[in-house]
Amino acid sequence: MTMKELEKKLRRQDYHQAKLYLFCNFISLMLITAYSIMMMAPTVLEVLPEGGDSRKQMVAIFVLAAVGCVAFTVYATALFFRKKSRQVGILMALGASKRQLAPMLYREVLVLGFASSVCGMAAGFPFVVLIWNGFRLLIVDSKEMVLNIRMECLGIPFVFLVLVMVLACVTAKRYLKRTDILDTIQEEHKNEPIKELGKWCGPAGIVILLAGAVIAYYAPEVYMKLTYSYGGAWLNLLYIPVFIGLYMMLLHTVVYGWHFKKRVSYKNLVSRSMMKFQGKQTVNNLLVSTVLLAGACFAAFYVPSMASGNFLNVRNRTYDYLYDYRADQKVPGREETENLAAEYGVSLKDWHEVPYISLGMDGMAYKEDGNKFYYEYEELETEGNFFSEEDFRELTGLSVTVEPGTYLAVSDNGDSIYSRQLTTDSTLFTNMVTEKTLEVRFADYVCCDFLAGGTGYYILNDADYKKIAEGITGEWSGRMTIFNADGKDDYRFAERLFHTLVSSFDKSCEIPYYYDRVQKISDNKKGDTYWGDMDMTGVNFEEPDSSAFRTLWRYMPKFRIMDKNDFICTYGVFLMVFIFIFLICITAACVICYTRCQTIAVNNRYVFDDLKKLGAPPAFLKQEIKRQCCTVIRTPAIIGILMMTLLYMMIMYGNDGKITVSEILALGICGVVILLIILLLYAVYCLTVKALAKELEIEG
Amino acid sequence: MLQVKNLYKSYETTKTRYPVLKGISFQVEPGEFVAVMGSSGSGKSTLLNCISCYIPYEKGNILLGEQDLGVLDKEGLAKVRNEKLGFVFQDFMLLDGLSVKENILIPRIIRESADQQAQDYADHLMELFGIIHVRDKYPAEISGGERQRTAVARSLINDPLLILADEPTGNLDSKSSRAVIEAFEKAKAEMNSTILMVTHDSFSASFCDRVILLRDGVIYKQLDRIGSQSSFQGYLLDTIKEMSEAESERDIR
Repeated sequence: MTMKELEKKLRRQDYHQAKLYLFCNFISLMLITAYSIMMMAPTVLEVLPEGGDSRKQMVAIFVLAAVGCVAFTVYATALFFRKKSRQVGILMALGASKRQLAPMLYREVLVLGFASSVCGMAAGFPFVVLIWNGFRLLIVDSKEMVLNIRMECLGIPFVFLVLVMVLACVTAKRYLKRTDILDTIQEEHKNEPIKELGKWCGPAGIVILLAGAVIAYYAPEVYMKLTYSYGGAWLNLLYIPVFIGLYMMLLHTVVYGWHFKKRVSYKNLVSRSMMKFQGKQTVNNLLVSTVLLAGACFAAFYVPSMASGNFLNVRNRTYDYLYDYRADQKVPGREETENLAAEYGVSLKDWHEVPYISLGMDGMAYKEDGNKFYYEYEELETEGNFFSEEDFRELTGLSVTVEPGTYLAVSDNGDSIYSRQLTTDSTLFTNMVTEKTLEVRFADYVCCDFLAGGTGYYILNDADYKKIAEGITGEWSGRMTIFNADGKDDYRFAERLFHTLVSSFDKSCEIPYYYDRVQKISDNKKGDTYWGDMDMTGVNFEEPDSSAFRTLWRYMPKFRIMDKNDFICTYGVFLMVFIFIFLICITAACVICYTRCQTIAVNNRYVFDDLKKLGAPPAFLKQEIKRQCCTVIRTPAIIGILMMTLLYMMIMYGNDGKITVSEILALGICGVVILLIILLLYAVYCLTVKALAKELEIEG
Repeated sequence: MLQVKNLYKSYETTKTRYPVLKGISFQVEPGEFVAVMGSSGSGKSTLLNCISCYIPYEKGNILLGEQDLGVLDKEGLAKVRNEKLGFVFQDFMLLDGLSVKENILIPRIIRESADQQAQDYADHLMELFGIIHVRDKYPAEISGGERQRTAVARSLINDPLLILADEPTGNLDSKSSRAVIEAFEKAKAEMNSTILMVTHDSFSASFCDRVILLRDGVIYKQLDRIGSQSSFQGYLLDTIKEMSEAESERDIR
């Protein structure tokens, strides 16, 4: 028998020991590959614009998931070597030199690491196809939800694969470098106790976590206010205390546990000591799984918060149909629309159609200079849409009085987020055709829910309106139309009207809602290029049913029945991306928890054997297993879920200084989601307990 | 065969230094079967680990044959472990994935000389120690005594200068212990093997030619076997008792 044959024989046995290592590598690579494919799919990149919040969230959670995967790969590698160390130690003790052992060890870990990683990468493709098509089959399918796989997406998994290999080689080298042979042989049974900080660390951790989260969340805003510049990515470092606080909390949980009542001190003695003496890795694992579970909750909460807002917005609209258009566009009139409705057996009522004009408003324009920003007065700062007092009354039924020389801004509520987007510091309006100006000042907000949001509407005094509107052309004026269905509405009519409207517009109206024509003119006058002309995404008359078109188009009509029916379709890609992220994070978290439970049990096998010898009944042993698994799964679940719920509430409150009805509804749905997550984790807990009982040969 | 001269070894924690061996000197002649005894913490396992080249020592010399172990690098020490030393451990240290015969051949495989001659020699050793019937079984499938006899056979496969045994009977019942000691005796008688064994067990030690008693890192006494095994065991127990009493008196003082 040669050294090579010996290696081959030992490797056969190692495959059994390496199951966990292979499993962790496989899962990490599968998740990373699937996430990369999804994240870099053209469909997703198109719907989630670069620099947008959703894209940032998707990338941030990817980073978290990747860190989680790295953590459990590192851990699995260390675990594999711990199991392998006895074999290496015995061979060393019997005189095998480093020169003899090195190729054997490297070959083995490279073969195992490479095979499991490549299999994981390969499995990432069917995994993503399965989820994507499952989503299309079970939840929503739209024309744009086509999965295009770009080979560039393999870049990240490839880097991860290299990392797995490097990690395996570094750990192998570390083992070979060891001089204490007996230590190497005993490695498997060595404890990894954690440095105890004292019982204060748990409560202090909570305070540090909460304070850190609030400070880090508001820091960019405060920084901008104080310095008139963007803090950049370094401001994210302020989140470090959150992780420190979290670590301290978990340390307290592992070492002391949380007792609010005085308990019998020996009740959890066995499980607590097992956990404590494996403390270092347990705390690290809990930290990673907490962060991943928080990521999963963040993604899972995204869908209900978006859906509930939309649901209430659509339900509470005063009118079934609302749309506006530029006066120079040949849009179907009342008669034509009524005839179209009749084709579907729908009759219309409450028809109101009023004109509005688009004016240039002066104000402090926001300018960027590298990382700094400043405000500069500009006569043509932004575009605003104006109704006369009379037309507004005709449209909404609300009687408003506007003093000459003043204007009102239309919002849903004086404190709402929309109010802040409206221009209230303007003192000069300009007719963009005649260049005539009107001196004004902001008087107040007026509340009208269905006109709030979008491009922004204002009301002028009738006489002022007449004066400034003189000589204006169809390009700078428009019409707002609203009506209701008399009796039962028909989706087919709404859809047909929508497509008819879209086809009535010419190319000059193929713009997103944030495209500001006044700003463009102002920039062009100064010889600058308007930023909107450089980066226009998504709005294309050829694809009126795409999410981008429906969420971004400047003249997108609001049809209740269509918005209700098409919600999932319109936001399909968003929903899928976040459901996907949820699946990735929850899978990774569950794998980490399962792996950790397995490790604690395997490393403490001798404790269980001793307890058995001391006469401990199976029920007692099973109880000890349950206590271990419970801490490992319950702790990250409670902290992760709580952290995300608080963060969501903070974001909701931070949006407009209050929690609105739709946000309360969203929180309610999030509660149901939490319940489902808890059920899932409970299932993982039950499976883990069962697997460990089998592994430790505990019956009953 | 083995000369240990003025050997010092201590363990250090971050704050304290604990001297374990405090200038030990002795020698073992070829074909001699020597036991090292002493209470817990007396330094017997540390002494064995230093001779085994498992841990470094601070001062002194260990000469194995003509070779000073202190001047060797890692590769040199590995070669000594493989070719000049044989090991028997308390918990056998057999590789679970290999059969009894393959485990015995490991030192030869490491030496890259597991040829037919080595295999025949392994068969001979198995025959000699009464484990030929389990040659193709795996460690998990045989008894503790058979495992330890496999370890003894493994320690002899390279015809080492010295066999080092660390509590070889520590995990065994009396019948198995006896079989292992018999294996050592056979190795000594038939192959003129030199054996240095660390043990707590006076019964096992009473089969040796000489017993070195350690106390607090120094040699308390060396006892040569005179007369029968049972009378030597009695003498051994008396001396151990005397050593314990002296220890207790010192502790009281």
